[in-house]
Amino acid sequence: MDEFLATLSKEDSLTYELSMLYKQWGYKEYRMAKFEEYSFYSDNRDFLSGKGILAFNNSDGRLMALKPDITLSIVKNAKLSDSLTKLYYNESVFRMSDSSMDYKEIKQTGVEVLGTVDDYLVAEMLMLAAKSLKTVDKDFILSISHMAFIPSLLAELNIGENVKKEIIECVKGKNTHDLRAICKKCGVSSEKTELLVNLVSLNGKMNDILPKLCELACNDEMNKACVELEFIASSLKKSELCDRLFIDLSVLNNTEYYNGIIFQGYVEKAPVAVLTGGRYDKLAGKLRENTQAIGFAVYLDNLNFYYKKKREYDSDILIIFDSADSSVSLLSLVESFVEKGFSVRVEHSIPEGYKAKTVYAFENGALREVASC
Amino acid sequence: MLNIALPKGRLGDKVYELFASIGYDCSEIYSDNRKLVFENKENGVRYLLVKPSDVAIYIAHGAADIGVVGKDILEEGSFDIYELLDLNLGKCNMCVAAPNDYVEDFDRPLRVATKFVNIAKNYYISLNREIEIIKLNGSIEIAPILGLSDVIVDIVESGKTLQENNLRVYEKIMPISARLIANKSSYKFKSDDIETLMEKLKKELAK
Repeated sequence: MDEFLATLSKEDSLTYELSMLYKQWGYKEYRMAKFEEYSFYSDNRDFLSGKGILAFNNSDGRLMALKPDITLSIVKNAKLSDSLTKLYYNESVFRMSDSSMDYKEIKQTGVEVLGTVDDYLVAEMLMLAAKSLKTVDKDFILSISHMAFIPSLLAELNIGENVKKEIIECVKGKNTHDLRAICKKCGVSSEKTELLVNLVSLNGKMNDILPKLCELACNDEMNKACVELEFIASSLKKSELCDRLFIDLSVLNNTEYYNGIIFQGYVEKAPVAVLTGGRYDKLAGKLRENTQAIGFAVYLDNLNFYYKKKREYDSDILIIFDSADSSVSLLSLVESFVEKGFSVRVEHSIPEGYKAKTVYAFENGALREVASC
Repeated sequence: MLNIALPKGRLGDKVYELFASIGYDCSEIYSDNRKLVFENKENGVRYLLVKPSDVAIYIAHGAADIGVVGKDILEEGSFDIYELLDLNLGKCNMCVAAPNDYVEDFDRPLRVATKFVNIAKNYYISLNREIEIIKLNGSIEIAPILGLSDVIVDIVESGKTLQENNLRVYEKIMPISARLIANKSSYKFKSDDIETLMEKLKKELAK
């Protein structure tokens, strides 16, 4: 199996390996159509945060959209079971690309759980996220945050929505110098300002940082979040993955949709997060009554670039033959090589730039080894 | 090894001197002016000299771990990076400037010439003022003189260029200075190295 996976691109091998991982943890594959009514996405535009919607009219004139997001669609459409609905998917989304300034197909794989989310489920989700990252690269970091900290502190401050947005941008960028300046300008007390700065500046392994974070907790929401994080830390304590879990409160999501744990995953070779996820009871509750939800997505689209496979040979064997010398035995020779596990290409001449371990010329019904290319 | 992107030019020279003074020197940087990559294995640093407006792009794409860039570039673009420190170097202001005798006409949209299109747009959105933007790439000061625009949005350091072109600062938009930025992934995997450098920088800047 490892040899087979080695022949695949990073994106393809990950699609297979992650699907296996999610199946082993009891998740069912969920397949969906590529299109959905445009109005569904426009009603939830904030959740898409400027990802853009590629719309078109279908045959009966209805305005449709190529899916810009998977989570929304699953929450709206998945058939809910009496207990938990645990799903995984391998799908494409169509979004505006920052680099090309045009729409782009982005491959995603991920898991979603709908139902009643408890502490065990949150811990399982973090474990699965960490295992997914480890499948991408053994050098990974899962940055964990909780919506109870920065957003609840901002809610206590007597500041306008625009200032809140500015502060959130500073938090996301770990920009404590501008954060202090904005707080000062808006009359935020120095005590609250320093608390914000201290929360944003926390960075390190979960087990090291958690006691410091809980010391800083100053309201009921934060205290409750600390209990949840402590449960997660003890649940994952025995796992080898525990050392890869970091606390980073600069990870923030839209407060209208997300609550509880949120997280982002990084691997050393990729400059941006390759995994994002979290608990989104608020979104789930909006679309399905009394439903809580948690999940994450792994972005596969750029991984082939960051994990380039060195191509030594295009095939193991290249056979050159002349049509005039064509013989019925050539096909069976090729078949016998393939059955032995070699990759073989048959050509009339050596293609430009082609690399093969061994090159044969097929002459008079037999193979003659010639210089390799 | 920390890969550090520095802006070519005066600001880059100042920043290199600052980094060298806290133990991240790379004397090779003085020896060959055509090279763009300089490395000091002992100090564990590699400097990349790039166009100032490209520093944040190199960082965002992970081609460098950290870098120094003007706040103007960060405000004009949209980069998913960490902005870790205000180095208080290269201080100046982003301003609206206008001819000395300019009187604003509120009956029509304001014509603004600038190379900082997003900064100008965001500033006037915050004032709820309708504008027309004329994007220029240089010699911005000439636009109001020739009647191309009412005002300009540009960086003002000493104000001498404005003065020489019969312009004056009409409104200050924001202060600008050099910022230490980091790639988000690099910051996580090289946090010890980056935080050590930051602490040394903070101490040096506090002197």
